[in-house]
Amino acid sequence: MTDLVPILVVVVPALALVGMLLVLLARTPRQAHLLALATAVPTAAGALALAATALARGGLPALRGQWYFLDGASGLMLAVIAIVGICSIAVSPAYLRTSGRSWSTAARSQSLYYAALFLFWAALLAVPIVGNLAAAWLIIEATTAASALLVAFSGRRDALEAGWKYLVLTTLGLSVALLGIIVLAISQANLGHHGLHALDWHSLRAAAHGLPRDSTLIAFVLLLAGLATKIGWAPVHNWLPDAHSEAPAPISALLSAALLPSVLLVAWRVKSILEPSVGSATTRGVFIAFGLTSILVAVPFLWRSLPWKRLLAYSSLEHMGVIGLGIGFGTPLAIAGVVLHVAGHALAKALGFYAALPLLRIDPDAAKRAPEGVVGDSPSTAAAMGVSLLTLSGLPPSPLFLSELLILLGGIAAGDALVSAIALIALALGFLGLLHALIEGVVGEHARHHRRARSRAERPIIALTAVLGSGLLALTAAGLLLPGSGFVDTLAKGAL
Amino acid sequence: MNGALVDAMLVLGLAVIVVRRRSVAIGLLAAQSLALGVGALSLTGGRSSDSLVASFVLLSKAIVLPLLLYALIRRTREPGLVVAAASGLVRLACAGAVVLCAVVLVPSIGLGDAHTEHAAVALVLLGITIVVARRPILFQLLGLIVAENGLSLLAVSVPGGLSYVIELGALFDLALIVTVAAAFAHRIHTELGTGDTELLRGLRD
Repeated sequence: MTDLVPILVVVVPALALVGMLLVLLARTPRQAHLLALATAVPTAAGALALAATALARGGLPALRGQWYFLDGASGLMLAVIAIVGICSIAVSPAYLRTSGRSWSTAARSQSLYYAALFLFWAALLAVPIVGNLAAAWLIIEATTAASALLVAFSGRRDALEAGWKYLVLTTLGLSVALLGIIVLAISQANLGHHGLHALDWHSLRAAAHGLPRDSTLIAFVLLLAGLATKIGWAPVHNWLPDAHSEAPAPISALLSAALLPSVLLVAWRVKSILEPSVGSATTRGVFIAFGLTSILVAVPFLWRSLPWKRLLAYSSLEHMGVIGLGIGFGTPLAIAGVVLHVAGHALAKALGFYAALPLLRIDPDAAKRAPEGVVGDSPSTAAAMGVSLLTLSGLPPSPLFLSELLILLGGIAAGDALVSAIALIALALGFLGLLHALIEGVVGEHARHHRRARSRAERPIIALTAVLGSGLLALTAAGLLLPGSGFVDTLAKGAL
Repeated sequence: MNGALVDAMLVLGLAVIVVRRRSVAIGLLAAQSLALGVGALSLTGGRSSDSLVASFVLLSKAIVLPLLLYALIRRTREPGLVVAAASGLVRLACAGAVVLCAVVLVPSIGLGDAHTEHAAVALVLLGITIVVARRPILFQLLGLIVAENGLSLLAVSVPGGLSYVIELGALFDLALIVTVAAAFAHRIHTELGTGDTELLRGLRD
């Protein structure tokens, strides 16, 4: 299988690009959806094969070529992006049936939707495998263009505002990150390393000890500050709640479950390569500061009565904070927690956003206010929302309970007991906030009369709840094996 | 790079934050991008062919993006000038303060040419200031491109030059972003009848 890696790293993103071109040729919405599914299946299969190859290597060194780099973290992200990507494509017709004409004619809009979705997916699939920092930046910038269009797909005033805010803020943030990359390129050039390959992950890693501390520190801070905008870390998270709540639900799932952690992986790699030059106290401190701030900013919003997708958006802010905290702690226990958290959060958050599709069909007003007593109108939608909320809140046997426990224990092992204690209190408050949302919004009494869901229309969400819910339980079981594994120990030594 | 060209880029960036007419601002941006391209071309002597390609990429940017932006303003006629949040003088004073901060506070980043280093960082900050200080959607887009020009100035000044692959990729990304932003601007104009971003403030918690 390892022999196929150089081919698969090209074929997987290329297949998604082929999908983009094919859907543009579709004449009817049905054709567009069939073509999308027909291309999505081999794309996801290829990505999962790559992920399996990377994960099966355990603690062995990463596979790398001139343009690619495949390690355990790449494998994890590829699996997440593949699963959430194909699920988002599969549920898209449920969104498109009710979306209307948006930016173009109804039929044309659907082709454009799928084309932008495939472009976004192709870029996402390339981020974890690209072997060069500058190339990773270029691909992340490309995700902005494709996803901004999708955020504003409905064409409504609020969606346009959210899309524009997302486009401008993340582009500015990425400009700051590019400034950091150029500062790094200058340092490399002064050491005699010129050209594009001077910014390869392994070249930077090899040169890190010789890089001048002051300018490398500037590069690190600029890179992290810029990438933080795209990750959605507080205090540069302003676009995140708006974009997640206004985007079509399948796109919100991709944004939250795949985009944010993909960019976080790039930030993690930057930390790993620059740590020898900048010093671990600084790199850890920056991650812990962003992580803890994000958790503390998110928690009060989890207590508020918010529309469903907006609540999930603030939950994303909280969980990106938890992952940032784990990377900052950097101990094997914390990294085991990070691995589990990325996977568990992705499945639970995707399910939550997919549940918004039947929810908004039953109660269109739920786009603007908190849901009420969903269980009375649609038990299966309520079940999906419940599984998602309980998992995200960290209630056992949720994999996020185990991952948060591992991260906090990892923090104590790293000597950051105070930070761990503050995070524990904040996470407990966040747990109660989500539980409150569950009781009030999902299982409570409903004051208004809503449309009752038809049993046939509920089948997709029942299937998704069963599949993703089983996946979450399997993750909890797998998570128990993570601490002490060669895979985690290698990642803890540096995500490269 | 020639000091006069670097100064010209900075002055043109400052002018973008002051002027009110969109067409004038696009002209200023085109002149700034042209100065960048010419400056990059002057650095190619003794460097690899990559630098030459990068210079032509930058020169093409000076032509393509302004044309795209002109096409946009022809499709989105404003009923009148958008009311400014602050007067031109206040905006200029803010921008001047930002440039001064860049000169005084930014430490050396190893380029060996403090003037270019300061100017590049000042242009990035100036771009961000334009986005924050200007309400019309087109000016916010111009702010992004001014910041990008600052980055390109630094990139072409890297000893030995940055790879043309990065320059080409960055231009492709910028063109993609500008095209998407232009589509947004057109759609927002259709929806609101103006490109005033002050009207896009409905999402709050």
